[in-house]
Amino acid sequence: MAETPSPTTPTRVTYDYVTRTIARTLGTPSRGYFLLLGAAVALLAIGIITLLYLLRYGLGLAGYSHPVYWAVFITCFVFWVGIAHSGTLISAILFLFRSGWRTAVYRTAEAMTVFAVMTAGLFPLIHIGRQWYFYWLIPYPNERGLWPNFKSPLIWDEFAIGTYFTVSTLFLIMGLIPDIAAVRDLATGWRKKLYALTSIGWTGSNEQWRHFTRGYLYLAALATPLVLSVHSVVSWDFAMALVPGWHATIFAPYFVAGAIYSGCGMVITLLTPIRTLFGLEELITVKHFENLAKLCLLTGSIVGYAYACEYFMAWYSGNPTERAAFWYRAFGPYWWATWTMIICNGFLPLLLWVKKIRTNITALFVISIFVNIGMWFERYVIIVVSLAGEPFTKWTNAVYNPTWADWGVMAGSFGWFFMWFLLFVKNFPAVSISEVKEVLPPPRSKASRVHA
Amino acid sequence: MMALPKPLNDLFRPPSTPGVLAVFSHLDTTLAAIKQLRSAGHTDFTVYSPIPRHEIEDALGQPVSPVRAFTLVGGIAGCAIGAWITLWMSADWPLVVGGKPVGSIPPYVVIMFEMTILFGALSTILGILFNALFAARRLGTILYDPRFTNDRFGVFVPAGSDKVAKVESLLREAGAEEVRRG
Amino acid sequence: MTDSLDRRRFLKVLGVTGAGAAAVSACGIGPEPTERLIPYLIQPEDQIPGTATYYATTCRECAAGCGVRVRVREGRAVKLEGNPDSPINRGRLCARGQAALQGLYNPDRVAHPMVRNASGKFEEIDWDGALQRVTAKVREAQGKGIVFLTGAEHSTFGDLVDEWMKHVGGRRLSYEAFGFEALRAGNRMAFGTATLPTYDFANAKYVLSFGADFLDTWLSPVEFQNGFSRAHAFDAGRPASMAKFTYVGPRLSLTGMNADEWIAAKPGTEGLLALAMAQVIMSQHLARVPADASKLVSVLAMHAPHAVSQMIGIDEETIVRLAREFARSGGGLAVAGGMATQAANGAEIVAAVNILNYVVGSVGTLVKFGADLSVGATNTFADLTALTADMTDGRVALLFVHGTNPAHSLPGAFQQALGKVAFKVSFSSYLDETAASCDLILPDHHPLEQWGDSRPRAGVIGLQQPVVQPVFGTQPTGDVILKLSGRSGTFLDYLQAKWRARHAANFDQYWMDSLAKGGVYGEAPTRPVRLATTAGNFTTTFAEVPSWGGDGDQTVVVFPHPALHDGRGANKPWLQELPDPVSKIAWHSWVEVHPDTAAKWGLATGDFLLLQSKFGGQKFPAWITRSVRPDVLAVPTGQGHSAYGRYAKDRSANAFELLGGQATVYGGRAFIVRATASKTGEHQRRIATIEGNARDLGMGTTEVLTLARAKALHPGDHPFHFEETPEYAKEAVEWWAERQHDKAEIGNYKGEQPRWGLAIDLSKCTGCSACVTACYAENNIATVGEELTERRREMAWLRLERYWRVDEHDNVQGAVSQPMLCQQCGNAPCEPVCPVYAAYHTPDGLNGQVYNRCVGTRYCSNNCPYKVRYFNWYNYAEKDGKYEAFPEPLSMLLNPDVTVREKGVMEKCTFCVQRIRGAQNQARLENRNVRDGDIVTACQQTCPSDAIVFGDLNDRNSRVFELAGNPRGYHVLAGLNTKPAITYLARVVAQDTPGNG
Repeated sequence: MAETPSPTTPTRVTYDYVTRTIARTLGTPSRGYFLLLGAAVALLAIGIITLLYLLRYGLGLAGYSHPVYWAVFITCFVFWVGIAHSGTLISAILFLFRSGWRTAVYRTAEAMTVFAVMTAGLFPLIHIGRQWYFYWLIPYPNERGLWPNFKSPLIWDEFAIGTYFTVSTLFLIMGLIPDIAAVRDLATGWRKKLYALTSIGWTGSNEQWRHFTRGYLYLAALATPLVLSVHSVVSWDFAMALVPGWHATIFAPYFVAGAIYSGCGMVITLLTPIRTLFGLEELITVKHFENLAKLCLLTGSIVGYAYACEYFMAWYSGNPTERAAFWYRAFGPYWWATWTMIICNGFLPLLLWVKKIRTNITALFVISIFVNIGMWFERYVIIVVSLAGEPFTKWTNAVYNPTWADWGVMAGSFGWFFMWFLLFVKNFPAVSISEVKEVLPPPRSKASRVHA
Repeated sequence: MMALPKPLNDLFRPPSTPGVLAVFSHLDTTLAAIKQLRSAGHTDFTVYSPIPRHEIEDALGQPVSPVRAFTLVGGIAGCAIGAWITLWMSADWPLVVGGKPVGSIPPYVVIMFEMTILFGALSTILGILFNALFAARRLGTILYDPRFTNDRFGVFVPAGSDKVAKVESLLREAGAEEVRRG
Repeated sequence: MTDSLDRRRFLKVLGVTGAGAAAVSACGIGPEPTERLIPYLIQPEDQIPGTATYYATTCRECAAGCGVRVRVREGRAVKLEGNPDSPINRGRLCARGQAALQGLYNPDRVAHPMVRNASGKFEEIDWDGALQRVTAKVREAQGKGIVFLTGAEHSTFGDLVDEWMKHVGGRRLSYEAFGFEALRAGNRMAFGTATLPTYDFANAKYVLSFGADFLDTWLSPVEFQNGFSRAHAFDAGRPASMAKFTYVGPRLSLTGMNADEWIAAKPGTEGLLALAMAQVIMSQHLARVPADASKLVSVLAMHAPHAVSQMIGIDEETIVRLAREFARSGGGLAVAGGMATQAANGAEIVAAVNILNYVVGSVGTLVKFGADLSVGATNTFADLTALTADMTDGRVALLFVHGTNPAHSLPGAFQQALGKVAFKVSFSSYLDETAASCDLILPDHHPLEQWGDSRPRAGVIGLQQPVVQPVFGTQPTGDVILKLSGRSGTFLDYLQAKWRARHAANFDQYWMDSLAKGGVYGEAPTRPVRLATTAGNFTTTFAEVPSWGGDGDQTVVVFPHPALHDGRGANKPWLQELPDPVSKIAWHSWVEVHPDTAAKWGLATGDFLLLQSKFGGQKFPAWITRSVRPDVLAVPTGQGHSAYGRYAKDRSANAFELLGGQATVYGGRAFIVRATASKTGEHQRRIATIEGNARDLGMGTTEVLTLARAKALHPGDHPFHFEETPEYAKEAVEWWAERQHDKAEIGNYKGEQPRWGLAIDLSKCTGCSACVTACYAENNIATVGEELTERRREMAWLRLERYWRVDEHDNVQGAVSQPMLCQQCGNAPCEPVCPVYAAYHTPDGLNGQVYNRCVGTRYCSNNCPYKVRYFNWYNYAEKDGKYEAFPEPLSMLLNPDVTVREKGVMEKCTFCVQRIRGAQNQARLENRNVRDGDIVTACQQTCPSDAIVFGDLNDRNSRVFELAGNPRGYHVLAGLNTKPAITYLARVVAQDTPGNG
């Protein structure tokens, strides 16, 4: 690992400084923290109440309108799965690429991943008509001898999301163990008990490191294809259907790029406040933000290119239904959604070519918010608008409008996500202690470098 | 340390091993100590460090962790299981959908892939835990210092009352800022 | 079990008429029978629970008198089907007829006699008390004027009423909101007979309708549609026998949109056109004109095309061309009615059309006098206005109303006049507007609960028998009248006495046979008619376009709603939710506005338009369409009830409000008024319609051929795009079939696997939507109400998509209606995406939908290119739920063979799988295979134009197999390689341009 002091961290930062600064983030929460947490829980409550209504009276409370049979719920599902992606990307893929700057931000990203998947996973259960039979999708032995249909992309989804949740959670926990041990050795009282238990006897002995580093490497190696596969599978929910606007081979890469784009956006959105609230300016520097911005720029450009491709193909294929679908998308009753998406995802990231903007955290924060909005609308457009304007069945030409039930559940999902995230950052190191140290020059007695 | 129920206690807290614990504040001094210990014929001493350093690995010259074997086996098993559940379950309740063959491989590849990853990851974790635990059992309960997770390096050398003095001096010369018996 | 009964079995069933009821009372439905029941002749093995019994009776929803067969299960009438023995409807039934069930089990029926108390509220009263009151009232009203108002009642019941009225010194009037005075007056004028003939559409070679909506509301729709589709259908193979159909009228009705050509003449000038054509025919000797027509020459000369084309708004060439086509066809049938005859000069228009028929010699061959349709026997509108006057002047002390609702169709004058009548008694079984303003209500049995008969035309007497026990505490008015007139016996005795008088010899057998057949079905001899001396006496109203009653710059045409008619259908959810075949609007009224007009006024579909005539004003949401003349606004009747139960009350606006109360010169009512139109600024969020923007044709969905092109087709031709299943899919399906075949050893699983399929001939389909209602009835489909229909959540498994045929200038020429239902694809996109196999492929080629297994991911619907899957957003069966579809006792008509779907599951058409399995089980019992024709889907069974054929596509001898091979056959969206089991036969248009837009 990086021998020379990484440019991202000033040299006056020592091991001890790192440990104490990060441990400090776990101190007694401020009033602001509780306000945020309260808000999150309140949102969650709204979501739960809405959900109870849906269960009692049926999905009719949501805005569904034939033939728009998938709408805000599935939009949120894809949105949250997308958010999840950058986490694994930063922690696994950049790990394999040995890029030092990830160390300061990957923990946050990874936690975000886990909670985002936790959120996403709820929607398929919420959106089905008979939620109480959700377990029929699981291949469990039953006396009726019934099994799920493995040809259905929804079952692929179930496996992909399930695996992704398990693996990313394990990945997060693995990375946490040494750090928990570190804070354990500083902490007192109930926290010490908690950390003693959760660090499962980590001491940092050479044996532990030996197996840990290897295992971590293989986990990363497994997580990398996984993260690429998960959103591909999600995209196949649509690509496997014959709905014009869904049925496209470009979908898998297009969705993955979009996912990472939205993920990086969310990471910036989350890091900015944490950095200032927890006083981590020394560890999470502008350089980190700039690198994230560069990732956004890259993936954002890919997404923009994908949009262009879609329209070009619709025209170039000469397929009337395809053309009709995309015409409807851009100039139909949902033009506003489409153009929000194109501006936020196609053009906004281009601002990041400018170094001034790339290195201005406030600007990045604002942009990241729009990235999130844009990506939500991308899914909304792909799902709702494609269905509403389906040219096979022009007779329908439904005008779909979300209702309070749609918004309620969506609000709930945000509450759910932020609740977990806030609880996490206050109770576990939101920045990796050991890995930040790895990019520091190790303490030496002699000034001269001696290679063992 | 908290009290654990008996079976767990036996598993995680093996009988304590007598020996000497040295605390180093520098990497290079630690490395020096390791060299001298090895040349003095010590084999299963333990080195503590707040972060994994390849210099230490090199100095210790340990074999590559067997965890990779776990990963490989897990992955292959997962793939096999994926293939089995999809094909067997289709055959067990055969229904034609969309005019596709009852057992159609292409869609099942997705399941097989996901299962490969899932089982690979799970067995990797098991591999880490198992190996670490095994090592701990072998070494027994040894001295430890909380600073090792912060900014200090440490070396523990198991030694009976006969060798203790010699080891102590060795470590001191290597540059330990503190040496303890236990 | 719903297999169609063969005659032998049917005869066995019928002994049980009333006895059905006896068995029923065992099921504890309704009180003990009140009449003496006919004992079983034979032990009815058909009374086994779980087995359906069929009773023949007569439909009373309109005056056409169609024969129906009622399917009764465990004492509940669950479905109405056409009676094949009836010469009128030949086993077919329209939407209105089938919806009669919802009248029987209507939750808003009046359950007991009700009397208005001092405070003006209705309160319950027992029958004896009620009858005493009436007897007293009759006594004191004698001499002061007693009137009994009935609907079109040409029946023994009518006779009884007449007798009773004579007895108490009163008089009876019969009233139909849409009477046929113009037709009668016109016939008198042309032929000196005021009777109504029948029209032989089946043998016509050219059909020309002057506003006569013979497919939806005119005289006998089912009969006419049946005949029309025979003449108008295109038969490939042998020389095409297609008769061209031209429609003349200000707007396209259901009938009009089926026309090959639309002549949008100025309203009121239809007669001019007819005379002009007659003039051309005579002057150019295009037909063998009867000698006595020569006396018309001078009159016709005045109406030569060049003279009148201006007024009509149609150029001379067109008139001449039409005349040629009409005469040369050698079997031209012209009919006048509807809009054309509801104008102030309606009678003369009819006379003119009669002359047109006469000069081509169709009178006597295609227009057959002698049938004397009973609707022609109702009193005229003039009689009713007279009655209104009498009531206003207090010359009526006691009024009985039965089977009609004048307070709704005559909102102004009659409503007020009612107040002047000392005592008013209603026999209505529903609390309609008239009943609501009466003093006493003696609820009548529903026609399905009581004995009776009706004489729709000479030679035909439909018998009516109780098929279920009375649902409520009602009593048949026949019995009530007998009691009131102090006579012994029940109405059944009275009825039988009358019948015995007609046929004394071996009466019991005669009675049984009549009950078996559902009545006495004879043909009336055709009565020859000659031109009357008055034939040519046209008034000058033809000189200029007639000025309608009222002032205002707009011409508003009020037309009868095809399903709700004059409003009597409005309390039946099936009819309310049935989209109007033309506008596709359900649950509310509308006003048709031409785009040009709309553009002038800055009007958008859904904007409310206030129509203000001299007589009243009403607000209607605008529906902008090219199917109406730019200078005309059209409004349907049927809605806007102030009473009449939960489904009808306070719904949209009542178009009758716009109309005046005075009679026209010929004693009818003018349904065209002048009015001012103004935007109200209000906007209906969304028109409750199943249709967004109708697709243009030529998208591979709806195919249209010109007659020339269709004639050129040879067997084996495939003009339309076709795709074959790839090998792998074939193998998979065969493998599966093989596997099932080993397992299954019953019925026709023995031997080769069937593949169920449907063939739908768009050249026959008129869009009448009878099949839609049949589907609702057969499959327990929930009606979801206006709010959810607006949100596109209607459940119609079978929907009719209507596509305009437009010329190059976007002018509508007509429309093609396409029934769209589950295509039961061979490679169904819906199946593989279902995660739980709820959608799967059955060995006999159906797309199974396992409701119990469905978790409701709705992926199947997203992936269905035909969008024929429907989702249960709520629990529509939930008791007292907000969207409850079957409130008691409406739930009684649920089909026990079909489940009622739960909240959260997907549902769709299954080709009436319950009927398929029923027939297979029957075949198994009889140890044979299912024969072609054993299985009849509900939609096929009811289709008046026989457009739908069901059968086994693997059976090379089946009808459906033959049709599937027809050169006109094509699969919708075949390019997707879904391999649908439904073959559509392209619509053929007798015109040069198919009108693909």
